[in-house]
Amino acid sequence: MQEAFLFLNIALTFAPMSLLSLQHIVKQYGNYRASDDVSFEIPKGKIFGLLGPNGAGKTTLIRMITRILYPDAGNILFNGEQLSDKHTENIGYMPEERGLYKKMKVGEHLIYLGRLKGLSQIQAKENVNNWLKKFEIETWFNKNIEELSKGMSQKVQFIATVLHNPDLLILDEPFSGLDPINSKLIEEEIRDMSRKGKTIIFSTHRMEQVEEICDEIVLVNKGKKILEGGVKELKQRFKENKFRIHFNGEIKNGLLNNLSVVEQSEGEVIVKYSEEHRGNELLKLFVEHGMEVSSFNELLPSINEIFIRQVEAN
Amino acid sequence: MKKILIIIQREYITRVKRKSFIITTLLAPLGFFALISGSVLISTFSQGRTDVAVIDDSGLFKDVPLPDADDQTVYFHRITGKVDELSAELPKAEKEKRKYQAILYIPANFNINNPNNPVISYRYVERPGMMKKQFIGDRMNDAVAKLRMKMLNINEEVQQQMEKKFQLDYSSLDNQSEKKGYTEAAGIAGMVMGFAIYISLFFYGTMIMKGVMEEKTNRIVEVLTSSVKPFQLLMGKIIGVGAVGLTQFILWIVLMAVVNLVAGIIFGAAIHSHAPSMGSMQGGGLDADDMQLLMKNLSSLPFTQIALLFPLYFLGGFLLYGSLFAAVGAAMGEDGDQQSLMIPITVPIIISIFIAINVINNPDSSLGFWGSIIPFTSPVVMSALLPFRPVWWQIALSVLLLIGGFVLTTYIAARIYRVGILMYGKKITLKEMGKWIFART
Repeated sequence: MQEAFLFLNIALTFAPMSLLSLQHIVKQYGNYRASDDVSFEIPKGKIFGLLGPNGAGKTTLIRMITRILYPDAGNILFNGEQLSDKHTENIGYMPEERGLYKKMKVGEHLIYLGRLKGLSQIQAKENVNNWLKKFEIETWFNKNIEELSKGMSQKVQFIATVLHNPDLLILDEPFSGLDPINSKLIEEEIRDMSRKGKTIIFSTHRMEQVEEICDEIVLVNKGKKILEGGVKELKQRFKENKFRIHFNGEIKNGLLNNLSVVEQSEGEVIVKYSEEHRGNELLKLFVEHGMEVSSFNELLPSINEIFIRQVEAN
Repeated sequence: MKKILIIIQREYITRVKRKSFIITTLLAPLGFFALISGSVLISTFSQGRTDVAVIDDSGLFKDVPLPDADDQTVYFHRITGKVDELSAELPKAEKEKRKYQAILYIPANFNINNPNNPVISYRYVERPGMMKKQFIGDRMNDAVAKLRMKMLNINEEVQQQMEKKFQLDYSSLDNQSEKKGYTEAAGIAGMVMGFAIYISLFFYGTMIMKGVMEEKTNRIVEVLTSSVKPFQLLMGKIIGVGAVGLTQFILWIVLMAVVNLVAGIIFGAAIHSHAPSMGSMQGGGLDADDMQLLMKNLSSLPFTQIALLFPLYFLGGFLLYGSLFAAVGAAMGEDGDQQSLMIPITVPIIISIFIAINVINNPDSSLGFWGSIIPFTSPVVMSALLPFRPVWWQIALSVLLLIGGFVLTTYIAARIYRVGILMYGKKITLKEMGKWIFART
């Protein structure tokens, strides 16, 4: 028994922590370099945000991961192995610009896409039925695709992406065209998959979703990686030591003399505190001046602010 | 290979299940049936019966036969009477009670040596159609010729000998004696096969192109290429549509045979009786004997060779042009407004049908030879040439070059296709497509 644990321990030690590893990826179209020596790791079981402004090279990177395109230089490793065609069956890809065959029925369409991902006819049909049941849309099986609304099509496309139970999901703007209820439904599915150990690459322009959903992000611009890290860690890294204090009564004389005030209004002040001091000291200062503090928050930058700042600086 | 089969299956099943496929497949033989039955019905009923009163004031044609029409549309009645009186009387009579619908009048001073002055006149109350005019004119010409021979004291035996048709015996110097009328039969068969490939290249080629454009326009292609290679997608589509085409062809042949059989049973006698007049109308001058000879020669065509090689050329041509149509579909904009990209494909197909038409009249020409071995023209030209029994090495060379040709075009098309399908919002030129052949993905 002890040996078994020992082997498991060794196996876990040597098993790659990253599901996907991009190493010095270069992709050139004529004179335009769409990916310029890009490297990053995508950890297993995490929701990973791939961010960047339009034309930054996100789609090129995704297409190389899905083997639609091949890098001119560099390596992509999938679970420690060189990425090859066999891995495409373990990847589910939902591109931003997506469509379905209008002249097919929902069921046969999904089965077709499932079979192209390596499922047998029987297995594909079973999985389709399970997903339709899960989304409570069993009656759609024989519905013509052309009868579906955009939101309904999005659901079918999502099922097509996850139908073969892949280890890696790549979702490019998965919520576009969805109403809030269906957005919530898909979001819950994404989280559920993440809980089940699936790795998800999530590409979007909606930064509030990144903040809400992603564990880690990488930011690319003009083909280059300009930033990467955990969402919480990045917010800490780019914080400006700003604090918002709500209080009752008036500001006591002399309290703000040595502080840099960013904004002040009735019952609220935002101050920038020097980096060597901690928030506790600022709170202590307010209390010592006899202020009645009702709330005290450190203001962390949003991912959107970090994104804009970094892209503009780049 | 498994994925190509899945794609073929989808392309095939979704297309043959479409209403448009079922309608086209059924309507073509029905159209053929309508054409046969329509033409027979029209010629039988619309012509009606014409009774012609023949007034021969010259008395010259008294003993010259003037037979009625076989198809019971024209009857000649020799009568005596005044032409002017009858001419005045006929229009007054009620249509149903009218005894004659026309008068064939031979004037008293008719001169056989100068038959156009005075002329024999045909006066009608019911306008004759083209076929009746032709028939009546032919009958009178025969009568004038017979009268002329009679006046020259040429007896019937000599007359028959003079009328006897002369046949040249054609044979090639390699001791292959050619059956009488074989060239005509081979020409018809060749033209039918050449046209069949010509039309199917355009029809199914366009089908492939539209299929590719559909996948590109509705953006499913990105999902597909993340599961299969563009080459697999391309091959699956071409073979799938090719199978649809072959199915439609086979169904057409079977349905047309059934229709032909049914039409033969229903209109058999009518078709037979109309055949000579229909032949003469078309200027071919085919009489019943010629038709019979043609049918006999059609049955002596090299069917085994045709059965083996025609599908091969159909398939070869289809793969060659199908891949090119797919490449153009991939390069076209989403609105499909770049029809000019099709010119390099359509021109060789059109040239090949012109060569095929030439080959029918000139099977051993050098144009026919080159047309039958160059892969871009050989599917149409060689199909037209097959009934003429081309030499084996010409066929072998043609097949080899066709295989080489479609391997090359499929390779080139696949390279254009893999770039084109992911290219949006840009007008593509032929030069750009050329660059894609060498581009890396």
